[in-house]
Amino acid sequence: MHDIDTRIKDMIDNNDVVLFMKGTKEMPQCGFSSRVAGVLSYMGVDFEDVNVLADEDIRQGIKDFSDWPTIPQLYIKGEFVGGCDIVTEMVLSGELDQMLEAKGVSYSKEAADKIREANA
Amino acid sequence: MAICDEIRQQLHAAFAPTHLEVTDESEKHRGHAGWREGGETHFRVVIRSPAFAGRNRIERHRAVHDALGRDLLSRIHALALDLGE
Repeated sequence: MHDIDTRIKDMIDNNDVVLFMKGTKEMPQCGFSSRVAGVLSYMGVDFEDVNVLADEDIRQGIKDFSDWPTIPQLYIKGEFVGGCDIVTEMVLSGELDQMLEAKGVSYSKEAADKIREANA
Repeated sequence: MAICDEIRQQLHAAFAPTHLEVTDESEKHRGHAGWREGGETHFRVVIRSPAFAGRNRIERHRAVHDALGRDLLSRIHALALDLGE
């Protein structure tokens, strides 16, 4: 295993929820990263943000690791969930709630319902 | 060939879609990261195809990534996907 794969594996093993994104949750640098980080924050999910723009090895490494060509990428309890489109669809369908519950990650159901109401 | 047409052609060949929309949304992202004058950086793709039956979201997205290929993907900045049966 390459060093970079080991580093990425450590990150997703040591944090319940990890978002590989452009920029940080406080200062996202891309609309798609911003949307996912914003939704997770609004839902009260405690997540680790990894800024791929700050580390070229991770920026390329995470694409190879996940076999996924785009950023952002969300991992929950070590499982790859997807990028912006998939996370958005799962929030709106309630599947993300189910996944968080099944994996024992705390979040605000009320906030998630508000997102769905606003997008109904 | 315009990237938009290339995308359309590859997706047609790979999925025989019943519905296919490829929209160049670059203008909506004017000035954002990855944007360049002349467009063809940000695309939105809607596909409805029986080929997606029995595949979960990640598998559907991966099938589209594979159909477009690494080279084409490296030439665009963003690809929003709406995939269904």
